[in-house]
Amino acid sequence: MSKHFITMTVNGRERSLHVDSTDSLLDVLRNRLDIKSVKDGCGTGDCGLCAVILNGRLVNSCIVLAAQCRGAQVTTLEGLLEDPQMKSLQGRFLKYNAAQCGFCTPAMLVAAKDILSRTVRPTEDDIKAGISGVLCRCTGYYPIIQAIQEASEGRSR
Amino acid sequence: MTSDVSQFLKGVKEQGEQGKLVYVGESLARIDGLEKVLGKPVYTGDMLARGTVHAKLFHSSLPHGKLIEVDLSAAKAMPRVLDVLTWKDIPGINESSAVIPDRPFFASSVVRSTADILGAVVAETEGAAREAAEAVKVTYAPLPAVFDPIEAMKPDAVRVHEGGNVAKEMRIRKGDVEKGFANSSVVVEKTFRTQFQDATPMETEVGMAVPAFDGSITVIGSMQSPHHTRAALMKMLNLPADRVRVVQAVTGGAFGPKSDETPYDVCGTAALAALRLKRPVYCAMDREESMVMHTKRHPYVITHRTGASADGRLQADEVELYLDAGAYASLGVFVIGRGIFHCTGAYEVPNVKADSYLVYTNNTYAGSFRGFGGPQAVFAIESQMEDLARKLSLDPLEFRLKNMLVAGKRNATNHLIDGSCGLPQCVEKVVTSSDYWNKRKVFADQVGRLKKGMGMALLMHGNSLGPEGNDYGAVLLEVGRDGVVTVGTGLTEFGTGAVTGLIQVAAATLGVPLSWFRLARPDTSRHRESGPTVASRTVVVGGNAALVAAERIRKRLVLVAADVLMVPEGRISIRDGVAFDETDSTRSIGWAALAAEAHRRGVKMSEDGFFMAPPTPWDTETGQGSPYLQYTWGALIVEIELDEETGVYQVTDVHAAYDVGKAINPTGVIGQIYGGTVQGMGYAMMEELVHRDGKVVNHSLADYYIPTSMDIPKSFHSFIVEVPGPLGPYGAKIVAEPPIVLPAPAIRNAILNAAGVAIDDLPITSEKVLMAIKKARAAKYPS
Amino acid sequence: MAGFDIYVPTSLADALSYMEEFGEGTTVLARGTDLVPRLKRRQVTASNLLDLSGLELDLRYVRVDGGSLRIGALTTVSDLLESPSIGKELEVIRDAGSKFGDPQIRNVATVGGNVCSASSSEDLIPVLLALDAKLKLSSSKKERVVPLKEFILGKRTTFRKSGEILTEVEVPQLPSNSGSAYDKLGRRNTLIIALVNMAVVLTLEPDLETVLKASVSLNRVSGRIPQRATLVEGYLAGRRLTSDAVAAAQGILANELSLGSDFRASGEYRADVAKVFLGRLLGRCVSRIRGS
Repeated sequence: MSKHFITMTVNGRERSLHVDSTDSLLDVLRNRLDIKSVKDGCGTGDCGLCAVILNGRLVNSCIVLAAQCRGAQVTTLEGLLEDPQMKSLQGRFLKYNAAQCGFCTPAMLVAAKDILSRTVRPTEDDIKAGISGVLCRCTGYYPIIQAIQEASEGRSR
Repeated sequence: MTSDVSQFLKGVKEQGEQGKLVYVGESLARIDGLEKVLGKPVYTGDMLARGTVHAKLFHSSLPHGKLIEVDLSAAKAMPRVLDVLTWKDIPGINESSAVIPDRPFFASSVVRSTADILGAVVAETEGAAREAAEAVKVTYAPLPAVFDPIEAMKPDAVRVHEGGNVAKEMRIRKGDVEKGFANSSVVVEKTFRTQFQDATPMETEVGMAVPAFDGSITVIGSMQSPHHTRAALMKMLNLPADRVRVVQAVTGGAFGPKSDETPYDVCGTAALAALRLKRPVYCAMDREESMVMHTKRHPYVITHRTGASADGRLQADEVELYLDAGAYASLGVFVIGRGIFHCTGAYEVPNVKADSYLVYTNNTYAGSFRGFGGPQAVFAIESQMEDLARKLSLDPLEFRLKNMLVAGKRNATNHLIDGSCGLPQCVEKVVTSSDYWNKRKVFADQVGRLKKGMGMALLMHGNSLGPEGNDYGAVLLEVGRDGVVTVGTGLTEFGTGAVTGLIQVAAATLGVPLSWFRLARPDTSRHRESGPTVASRTVVVGGNAALVAAERIRKRLVLVAADVLMVPEGRISIRDGVAFDETDSTRSIGWAALAAEAHRRGVKMSEDGFFMAPPTPWDTETGQGSPYLQYTWGALIVEIELDEETGVYQVTDVHAAYDVGKAINPTGVIGQIYGGTVQGMGYAMMEELVHRDGKVVNHSLADYYIPTSMDIPKSFHSFIVEVPGPLGPYGAKIVAEPPIVLPAPAIRNAILNAAGVAIDDLPITSEKVLMAIKKARAAKYPS
Repeated sequence: MAGFDIYVPTSLADALSYMEEFGEGTTVLARGTDLVPRLKRRQVTASNLLDLSGLELDLRYVRVDGGSLRIGALTTVSDLLESPSIGKELEVIRDAGSKFGDPQIRNVATVGGNVCSASSSEDLIPVLLALDAKLKLSSSKKERVVPLKEFILGKRTTFRKSGEILTEVEVPQLPSNSGSAYDKLGRRNTLIIALVNMAVVLTLEPDLETVLKASVSLNRVSGRIPQRATLVEGYLAGRRLTSDAVAAAQGILANELSLGSDFRASGEYRADVAKVFLGRLLGRCVSRIRGS
């Protein structure tokens, strides 16, 4: 088991720490950096609840080795709370009851932010594809899609 | 019901009729929504204090065997291991079972399934606990095993439990089926098979225990029933109630298994370890462990022999329903009831002979899961209805209309349906929305390999616990000095939004906006037994308890306001958080001031409301009576598009209507309709927890498929029908479970419409469809 | 996961010299979308990983070079989907990429990782096989180029020597009048291990009706690895693509396939769908050729 010293920027803050070779980025975020919005739903990259934005891309943090995150930029929901687009998404999620048990909600919001940052006017199909890697068992997805669609259509509603 | 409640309900009904309802019937944002969209660390695993150690369960690798030796020496010697627990370490009774005491907490002499838990390793880190758990060496003497309920009922079958393999039997005897068959011009006889479905809540089962200096233990965890969990822990730990405190943390989905034994297993293990080590302990199942060890939906084998007369009237139904309980009965003891009571679905059948058997096998085990016997039973009867219609050359809708339950008709238990039946309205909504008659005509003439089809199913769903036990709820309302209303109840929120609905009822009664309310975490040390949060009963039963509590507080506040404003109490109203004189609204006092004044005067500002539903009379010999006090009704029409060359099909449109009595929160109700329907689609199309020789083969989300955002129908039309029922506040009926029931039969019937093939076992995979099409073609065009 | 050591090379040369010395007991790690879940599930153990992720400057690129498409081993599936260098005749790459896993997986999974995993669950392999891809295997001493066809020995076994690293995948330029297509079947619409998948690359004669060359590959043909359906290819070569010819090709495919059954699907069903895919993908290729 090797140890690795990594420095990465998490939610805008530079963090340096020693990690074990077997630590996943999810382990480090939750257990070392106390970033709890990122969830462990399966541990094998099949549910998306651990999704974060890594170097500008949506990834499943549970199967990313922390040791491979040298110099990485990581963004989770905690790092987006002041983001106007995120606030708009959160408001719509509440309006449309898109968060029921809430366990997939952080991942859905991060995926939604990812969609909105890459496409100006995403279609319903774009949104469905954008969240296709995050599983939800409660909502049936419709309220989530509705919320993201409305958030993408501008702020004044 | 006590008289003051019924008086009040009468008044409330009148208010509603006069259009004076507030907060009820409004799509208010859920009370627990904000913390979720802010990503706050409110789930059990988010709140671990530093120094918390980890417990990992280890389970049987054999479906049936004698335990010869469990060698812990290697595990104990591994780095960072603090303790290894087995049955020998249990201070109290070695039991973890929800109803029948047939299941041990930790296996001691025999394992009956691969879900049987043998013990737990406690270590400094989760990784160390996991490694050590794998180093436990178990020696078994394998025993022969049985994996099929029909096989297990044979006289020479392997015995899973000493008392025999039939854990429970139930029957219905209504009328005389032989007479009924004599009156039938067509008879359809078929066997249907359904599969193990995994609930797959996004948060798995977890619990954290924190020991106190006085030998007591506090456990927080992901669960549906903190009081049941506490009772189980008291028994296993041999501790009295005041030494065991269980608090439900914000729970990331449940759907049933979290009201069965798994929370006892996880929380009990954490508690036992915490008491021994005097350290906080976190016990979590990861996804793969959860899929093996928690309860699943019962597979059913259902045989129907159903007769109808030439004029399209059902005459007789002879039904046999076999449940594969797996190794332990769990809530199967009640699933069998709901299944048999619903075995003739939403239709009047004058003569019914039904027998159901809950059968042990050496598969893992089954218990509660949304729908609770309903999805299986209704899949069978709705398929029968379709096949009978075809045999009678009647349109399937027409045939259903002739036989469906409406006021004046009687269901399988001979319960007289009354005017609170909204089934016809549900049917009308979906038939219109789907343009059923036109589309059926169009679909009759299709060419090409892509075929469209339309299928339907109707629902009668008995509300609440029915005959499963005393059906009560308790809600504690505490109005603080500052006016904040704290709601405490043993009824739990885990995504459905029902607790928000319950609070809306309280808000409507008090006359105060939702913003004044705060939900306390359900806590056995503060909130009394409120019954389990199951059967979708939170709003119907809990709502009434909230209403009782709120009304009592309201009365006291009215007196205070009357005194303060010097106005006769009869003229005081509380609305929008203001108490005022109805004849002169300038004479008013705001909510916070009113609360403060009431406190100053020593008026009791807390009230523990209790509501118990009347008992449900039914005869165990004949299965006749009124096992449920009211019913939720529904209708679903789905449109599919099917590729005849590959068997692949998509559900393109859904039209769903549910009579929910009164939609306390319409958006919440629609949310349950969306979510339940999609979960039902998973059950119909893709979900199957496969056991091979008792071992779960696909206990991973890489191989157990639940619907993604790419699998949902392009269009979804949902309709709320409101025909008030006698039981719930404002006439509310249950809503959370019903939407999962109808998709499977509706899809099955749509496929029959599209491609002419009847698939009688779930899930309906594209392979089954193609194989059926090929078989039909071969029969039609023998080479 | 059981513990392992990770060596982080400072350069490609450093990585290659590490492999020269320690390659025997070393597992090469791109970004781990295949390896990490398998390690977590205890399906495989590793004691030593070589982490290539820091070598993106050397190994992550998509470029056209003398007609061939050259793809660095660390190129992600998303990179492929977003690359403007992939011409219309190579639409099969985009077809497969868009059905690959889910967005998170596409953003991380690499071409090199996919190829070296050598499993029927790796969707890019049938595509690259049909495109007659060539692999550049580098060691500290030399580079050699091996056709992908000859690289995969068996399930999760390749002809990579212990001192070698796959550094580049080369897709030779397709002749004019070429088109390609891919499809995949699973139990739901996304994020699935393929029950069947197929890639077809078709080159027509100038008459746009006669097949000059057809490449057909599937995730499984007669074993548990992706392969080319050579009998079908042999039949189609030089043939006018009539509906009879397609039907005959489907019959040949049925004979060529020897697919096993498991709890996910039967071999018979997989073969039935493969036949349907063949017909449809040939048709799609023709439309794409004629369309352009």
